[in-house]
Amino acid sequence: MEKKKKIGRREFIKSAGAVGVGLGAAGLLGTSVKVRKATAAQTRSIPKTPIKIAAISFLTGAAAAPFGIPGDNAYKLCADEINKKGGILGRKIDMKSLDEAGGADTQVKLARKLILEDKVDVILGYISSGNCKAILPLSDELGGLIIAYDCGTHVLMEESRSPYKVPKYSLGFRSSAHLGIDNIGLALYIKQYYPGVKKIAAINPDYAWGRDSCLIFETAIKKLFPGVEVVKKLWPKLGATDYTAHISALIGSGAELIHSALWGGDAVTFTKQAIGMGLFKKARMAYSRGEPYPQEVGMDYPEGQIICCAGTHYFIYPPKENWPLNKWFVDEFHKRYNKYPTYPSYHAYQAIYSYKAAVEKAGSLVGGWPSKEEISKAASGLSIETPSGYLTIGEDHNGKEDVLVGISKKVKGYSFPILDPDRMAIFPAHQVNAPVGIRTEDWIKGWKV
Amino acid sequence: MENWIIYLLNGLYFASFLFLTSLGLSIILGTMGILNLAHGSLYAIGAFMAAWIVGAFGAKAPITIFFVALLAALGLSGLMGLIMETSIIRPMYHRALEYQLLITFGALLLIEDLIKMTWGGTAYYASKPFDVMGILSIGSNQYPFYFLFVMLIALAAGLGIWLIMGKTRVGIMLRAISMDREMAKAMGIRISKLNTLAFGMGAALAGLAGALIVPTTPALLGIGMEPLILAFIVVVLGGLGSLKGAMIGSLIVGETRSLGIVFFPEIELPLLFLIAVIILVFKPKGLFGR
Repeated sequence: MEKKKKIGRREFIKSAGAVGVGLGAAGLLGTSVKVRKATAAQTRSIPKTPIKIAAISFLTGAAAAPFGIPGDNAYKLCADEINKKGGILGRKIDMKSLDEAGGADTQVKLARKLILEDKVDVILGYISSGNCKAILPLSDELGGLIIAYDCGTHVLMEESRSPYKVPKYSLGFRSSAHLGIDNIGLALYIKQYYPGVKKIAAINPDYAWGRDSCLIFETAIKKLFPGVEVVKKLWPKLGATDYTAHISALIGSGAELIHSALWGGDAVTFTKQAIGMGLFKKARMAYSRGEPYPQEVGMDYPEGQIICCAGTHYFIYPPKENWPLNKWFVDEFHKRYNKYPTYPSYHAYQAIYSYKAAVEKAGSLVGGWPSKEEISKAASGLSIETPSGYLTIGEDHNGKEDVLVGISKKVKGYSFPILDPDRMAIFPAHQVNAPVGIRTEDWIKGWKV
Repeated sequence: MENWIIYLLNGLYFASFLFLTSLGLSIILGTMGILNLAHGSLYAIGAFMAAWIVGAFGAKAPITIFFVALLAALGLSGLMGLIMETSIIRPMYHRALEYQLLITFGALLLIEDLIKMTWGGTAYYASKPFDVMGILSIGSNQYPFYFLFVMLIALAAGLGIWLIMGKTRVGIMLRAISMDREMAKAMGIRISKLNTLAFGMGAALAGLAGALIVPTTPALLGIGMEPLILAFIVVVLGGLGSLKGAMIGSLIVGETRSLGIVFFPEIELPLLFLIAVIILVFKPKGLFGR
């Protein structure tokens, strides 16, 4: 397993390169992008009307503050930037922000309306894995281009047996990696920094996201630490307001390390109550997507907690001096919203710029505005530069990314604990993403450790 | 042993919220025969009101602001209860149960929208009271004083309701209505005014419970759903309109949940329902139902 303690320019370039090399070796990387502007030789017209984009995130409820609003803010920032630079193939973006609240049935109705009545060019959306699972099948059923931007369940694009045929949906994509990278990244980090761990517990929300996250983490950790004992697994309901009994159960279990995929208000509530009950003095948390919460909780957030960033999405990584795109993104975002971007903001960037790159790639091939099918073909195997490094969309229509894991530390100059710059680790994409057509669980079980 | 003390305290803490919520529900159901599905929304109003007040004063707010917030939450939810009873509940007294369910479900949606319009859809944080009250050491474990404070408030509220119901003229009339509505009417008790009072009192208790939860969890849309469901279990277990029933029912649910999470985490909720079923088999009207 690679060990990179301090990330400098060389390490970053090496790591970014490793994505390409790794994915190429695994057969994941398709054609690289060559964006060409439409020329006089174009054979197809480009409509004069703006591109209609529906951006769907939680704008109300528990997931709004830590996920939906930072994601939606990034969509607005990126759409404005694209429009300022002339749009996509000369067409400006007309983006509408919509609320993801209301459950899967409400979202299915909304997606149908957007595709069939409003005739949007693309839907960029969804934080909830449940919503993604309900919506993505509509892409092929209704002929609408849908890019899932933040939901994490690995089963969205996987089938029940390996090897499976790809892509699952011809017009449906996910422009980020799935929860496999978070949970495998955590297990690799623990192996690297806490090799003596013996007892592990887990607290995860009782639905697909929590169960899937726990499954992948447990599979990976047992493979890496054959003697490890999982002493307690807890499944609080989504939206629970009292975790005292769970916290006592975790303390009583004697676990040294606790895995968790709690999110939104649940993660904040759990953290506050756990601070009061002294959990962090007895055990260390390992959060699969914990990156937004130190900023949400502030200085009360405990030091020494292992946090994964759902990719390499962090406001101080890649270092601004080495990666100008992250400097631009972080500075612009902070200037506009007085907050640092969190991983959903980076995911939103990836969604809108993947669409842009795919349209431009397809447009250069057809000599005009491409059809949805042509955009879809161009997106498969696409690789783009992002504020976090590189994103590749595999032939399975799922994003492949490196992953960053670190540990919380109070550092002068910040109003919340950040990831300790001396203890960050980057695990390259080939180390944390299963090869195309192979289920993540099967792939981990086949590791030779 | 230390862990056991904490497990039992956790059960008591959770039972305190259940008691406050179910007591209000039980008074309304017992006295008026109204199954109020909007009870959780009244809890949510209390939560938002308290979080908004504490949050508005920021990090430097004195702890007394929280007590003001508790009273304001209690008052606002109580007022909303009075408005609900006089406007939409009153015409439902002589209608079938389906009408009550429909109208109180409508009220639930309406109040959720009112909350959204007033406070927006995002989370409100008010953790200051939880942070400043400090920590109690129990052996090698620690337990926040705030949790003990919640238990104390629930106990005080229970005592207050017991005194009102047992020692005052109004309370005795309310009990008479819950025992035999027609007879109470025949005796000259002005039922409609007492109905309004009972509904307001039940709503205020829900608001108080909502206000007490926000120092440990953000106020969010839908925050009242979980307590509503559990409060129904408590009311059914304890028996309609019974203060003792609400208290014992809350303790059973609170402790079962606490110990269930520790020892049988996979079946925490089914365990709760299993115990409810066993009790109802032997006591179909609940532990203290008439």
